Amino acid sequence: MTGKPQGRRDGAYPAMTPWLFLLPYLLLTAVFFLYPFANSVWLAFHQTNGPQSAVFVGWSNFAFVLADPDFHKALINTTIYTVVSIFVQLPLSLGLALLLNSGASRMRNAFRLIIFSPHLVGQIFVGILFAVVFTPRYGLFNQGLEALIGWGLEERWLANPTLVMPALIIVSLWMYVGFNMIYFLAALQSVDKALIEAAGIDGANPWQLFRNVILPQIKPVAVFVVVMSTIGSYQLFELPYSLLQGFGPNNSGLTLVGYLYTTAFDSGDLGTGAAIGWLLALIIFAISTLQIRMTKAMES
Amino acid sequence: MKLNDFPYGKAPLLILVLAVVSGLLHGCLQLKRRADKPDLVFAIFAANHEEAYREVLPEFEREHGVKVQLQRVNSGALQSRLQSALLTGAEVPDMVELLEGSMGYFTRGPLEDVGFVDLTDRLHAEGWYACMVESRFTLWSSRGRTFALPHDVHPVTLCYRRDLVESLGIDVTTLKTWDDFVAMGRRITADLDGDGNPDRYALDLSAQGGDALLQLVLQRGGGLFDANGAVAFDSEIVADTIAWYVHQVEGEDRIAYDAGWGQGLTKAMMDGLVLFYLCPDWRTKLFEMDIPQLEGKLGLIPFPTWTEGGCRTSTWGGTGLAITRRCERPELAWELAKFLYLRSEDLASRFRATNILPPLKDSWDLAAFDEPRPYWGGQAIGALYAELAAETPSAYASPFLGLAKSKMGEAYLNALDHYRRNGDAGLDEAIRSELKRTADYVRRVAARNVFLNVAKADGTEGERP
Repeated sequence: MTGKPQGRRDGAYPAMTPWLFLLPYLLLTAVFFLYPFANSVWLAFHQTNGPQSAVFVGWSNFAFVLADPDFHKALINTTIYTVVSIFVQLPLSLGLALLLNSGASRMRNAFRLIIFSPHLVGQIFVGILFAVVFTPRYGLFNQGLEALIGWGLEERWLANPTLVMPALIIVSLWMYVGFNMIYFLAALQSVDKALIEAAGIDGANPWQLFRNVILPQIKPVAVFVVVMSTIGSYQLFELPYSLLQGFGPNNSGLTLVGYLYTTAFDSGDLGTGAAIGWLLALIIFAISTLQIRMTKAMES
Repeated sequence: MKLNDFPYGKAPLLILVLAVVSGLLHGCLQLKRRADKPDLVFAIFAANHEEAYREVLPEFEREHGVKVQLQRVNSGALQSRLQSALLTGAEVPDMVELLEGSMGYFTRGPLEDVGFVDLTDRLHAEGWYACMVESRFTLWSSRGRTFALPHDVHPVTLCYRRDLVESLGIDVTTLKTWDDFVAMGRRITADLDGDGNPDRYALDLSAQGGDALLQLVLQRGGGLFDANGAVAFDSEIVADTIAWYVHQVEGEDRIAYDAGWGQGLTKAMMDGLVLFYLCPDWRTKLFEMDIPQLEGKLGLIPFPTWTEGGCRTSTWGGTGLAITRRCERPELAWELAKFLYLRSEDLASRFRATNILPPLKDSWDLAAFDEPRPYWGGQAIGALYAELAAETPSAYASPFLGLAKSKMGEAYLNALDHYRRNGDAGLDEAIRSELKRTADYVRRVAARNVFLNVAKADGTEGERP
């Protein structure tokens, strides 16, 4: 680059100039990231009642959470949801992407829009919508089940503890399959066509083609989708909260973030809420690290 | 001076100019806001309250030469914003209407930290305790101190499809006890089209227990907490009520169906799927607005009692008016609170508009409460609710109310699950064991609150109002 920058006078800028330019960013980071970060550490070791009352309680918040049956339930619920997300939702997304990738381009665009569109609606609206869809006796889903298989008219999907998680999973499939499909479709469209043709000439069947040619090429995207789905699933909150108007009978729809929310904001125990937040961050960090390492191990 | 002379170029200059202009603009707006600031800001969440208050506020403003600003906010948003604002010291309204169950959050610390004005002494000094339904103060009290003025009583009746019940030959005056009701329910609950699913049930009860179970517990004199704020739902009353409830919602002899809310409820009522519904005063207005097609087809009766001569009602919900501690004119706010809540002449028109029974006993003698209502088949619903108001049971505020409700629901659902798998075998023991487990859990959580425990140790907890 040549020429001197606009507005520069003779000689160097004062030493503080870069800091001046960085100041807005630094201020925002300090106010909205560093201070809350430090405060959440402080909070996790205190019990508070507003800024005027705080008592140091050591590790007691963490000890309570780790021994709390509601935390265990939230952890189990969230893990089940995450496992289903990865092992049901993502294969479905990939399957749809493969189907669309092989179809005519005009149809592909139309189907892509149709399948992706539920994601545009937003979790709160989807929750409210499906609360009506799952209405016993009168709901669309129950009536559909009754018409198709002669069962389900009176099932209380949102009031029966054993049916709450399946209901949540059905809703999340409707909502997220199309979203993840877009990632896979983009990855599939970037697969080297020459390799596919060469494999075909060599007599590879569709499974061999997928297993040995396509999958290795979309692996970076697949790993990204798996990690993001895991993180997203562990942060699940709005969907059960709006669908179940809380977290369901017997806390059957309680997630880790839901547990954090009720503890911190319904009960007002911000200290324990902060402890839950840190535990959640640790869980997500550990699982994501594990996933990435496993992927690397499989590659090697 | 040329633009290029600015030391760091045009872009930083533009940013600086924008920052200065927007800063100045913001400052001017703040000054204007301060200049326009009303004498009192009153935050509410109910649309029908807003309508009623807007009608009478000009009179108060004229009388006192002040300006009152009414702000209506969604109840969830109002609660969470108020919580955050009180925690952080941000701006709060001078007065606020709170929903039943929310006071516990604000009173979970030392009494001196509660963000609302303590109204106890005013209420005693001005004699309001004697004039109002005493049980309503417990919703807004903690450790003997009252922090809000109750807006309502919310006694509960049974609303029924009068036309269908009469066509079935049922005389509702004979439904004196719940045993009578269950016997009637078993007669009429039936599968009318032979598809294996009953198409007519006697009673609307939540499948999750929830508020319906709590109302029945309160009617029997039980509750989630006792008058001293101690966890009390592992009682014989609650155990017996759960056993009764389980038998009504499950099994061959069930008489109850969960009609839910919204469209499902409307359809169930229209179709006559369920004939009787738990109905506090506020719900009568919802029915009038949501299902006008049922005009003349609904009626109200008191709750059947658990024993001969027992309590004929319960309570469901509630609103209270609190004055925040940061209010600069608490005396004016108190005058406004009394003006809105305790003037008999306004309460008559407000009852006509909302069907909500005020807790001021003298007001029930007004003609509005004896008026026959066409929607209710000419029944004077005000007189019925007023008659039951004195029997309305107390429900106590607690910081752990939400948790206790959830845990009692958990005990109920586990009992229901036991009944589905094992029938009556071991049901009573299972209920008691579940109640003990869940109540102990709430006690453990409550014991962690160092602020309340310090108050207990210091003996700074007060008596009931």
